[in-house]
Amino acid sequence: MSLEKLNSSRFEEVIYDNGEPCLVIFSRKSCHVCQGVVPVLEDLQPQFEGKFSFYYVDVEEDKALYQRFSLKGVPQILLFKDGEYQGKLAGKVEEEDVEEKITDVLNS
Amino acid sequence: MVNSYDLIIIGGGPAGLSAAIYGGRAKLKTLIINKGAVGGLVNTTREIVNYPGYGQISGSDLMLDFKKHAERFGVEFLRDIVVSTDFSQEDKVIKTKKGKEFTAKAVIIACGSEPRLLNIPGEKRLQGSGVAYCATCDAEFFEGEDVVVIGSGDQAIEEGMYITKFAKKVTVIVLHDEGILDCNKVSAERAFRKEKMEFIWNSTVEEVLGEESVKGVKIKNLKTGDSSELECQGVFFFVGMVPSTQYLKESGVEMDKRGYIPVNNLMETNLEGVYAVGDNRIKYLRQVVSAAGDGATAAVAAERYIEELNAFKTNIANSYKKVLLVFFNASNTESLEFSSLMEELQREHNEDYKIVKVDLATKKNLAEKYEIKAVPAVIVLDKGKKVKELGCSMDKAKLKAQII
Repeated sequence: MSLEKLNSSRFEEVIYDNGEPCLVIFSRKSCHVCQGVVPVLEDLQPQFEGKFSFYYVDVEEDKALYQRFSLKGVPQILLFKDGEYQGKLAGKVEEEDVEEKITDVLNS
Repeated sequence: MVNSYDLIIIGGGPAGLSAAIYGGRAKLKTLIINKGAVGGLVNTTREIVNYPGYGQISGSDLMLDFKKHAERFGVEFLRDIVVSTDFSQEDKVIKTKKGKEFTAKAVIIACGSEPRLLNIPGEKRLQGSGVAYCATCDAEFFEGEDVVVIGSGDQAIEEGMYITKFAKKVTVIVLHDEGILDCNKVSAERAFRKEKMEFIWNSTVEEVLGEESVKGVKIKNLKTGDSSELECQGVFFFVGMVPSTQYLKESGVEMDKRGYIPVNNLMETNLEGVYAVGDNRIKYLRQVVSAAGDGATAAVAAERYIEELNAFKTNIANSYKKVLLVFFNASNTESLEFSSLMEELQREHNEDYKIVKVDLATKKNLAEKYEIKAVPAVIVLDKGKKVKELGCSMDKAKLKAQII
């Protein structure tokens, strides 16, 4: 996977300390929908190089993180900017949906 | 740039991978185009106990073995989404979302199916916030909570039992009368014994309640018409599957009202050289073993089709003699008698031309190419090019006069 993996401490650093405009996909290996959505993000990543970052969290390894956002399922893509939560996308999403959401966040 | 293959398989589940194994082994240049993780929906099955030769294995491990097997036979894989197809010519054209274009002599549709949505209020809005479709993926998020399962087929009951490992209580909403489930008997008996499992009969869910997350469901009793609310934090929908064949709408491939593809026993669709296998076709048993059987059948049929196609091309294009294509139909006596007469003529004038008989029923593309609508019909080809069409007379002398 070309997305950078976040654990709790790296999450704090990226989202809140640095305030990076970014998305984080919460996924798990045994979820076939996640396995379909992650490559979509990998394809989109180069298009936003330097402007918007892409990360992932493995929910099996970091339960505290998904509990913190009261997530009830994977995959879920959470978007952040300047340390603030900007919304999410759940389930099987298409490339266009993600692209649109990123553009909204960047323009906000 | 157009990439040419002998065989392109759309979908990398058990049916597609099995077809690929057979295609690769038959030395067909084979490509699988798959949109997600190879293995498809089977990847969510935690335990498979009925695939021959494997006593017990997880769906994803089994699919990994299928994939490795296909790779050993030189099969290529591409992660992409097919957006349009053109099956009207011998070289079938497939275009993908990433802007690639491929041609193939034969295409096997193995794109499977996906969970059906009920499209009730609250369902879409609360996806990821309590509405779920996959227990393997999401059951863990409902630790110690109340969960509702909609449906009573194998998947609903087996996944429901799995959810009881995490949830405080699992309530199954069933359309049927008390005691009647759509799942297999063993699962039903186990489910009835599960302490954490409860059933609400003769009912359906009308709405998922909650603003930010699921708070409950509105249930309608189908016998009394009464509505009631049940508090819960999660709702799992297992109300059947729909075939992932939307992209084929304009392709000319025949489908039923729900999008499933009818095939014959060779897995042939209504279009020559196009096959459909696995969960996206009309079939009785939707299991890994039957999907694998479909894939093998289609690949062997495709291999023979390609062989015939190649032989046909060689016969016509490389023939130094003129070729007479005689179109017939096995159920049309006149056309059968006519083709016998043509063969008789050929025996008498072997040095002048050769005859290739074409069954209108199986060579639809060829008939369309030469605009043949009725049988008998004969066209004369010189180095593959049509030079004239004969008048089909049963008078040998008249026929001979037209040829020489």
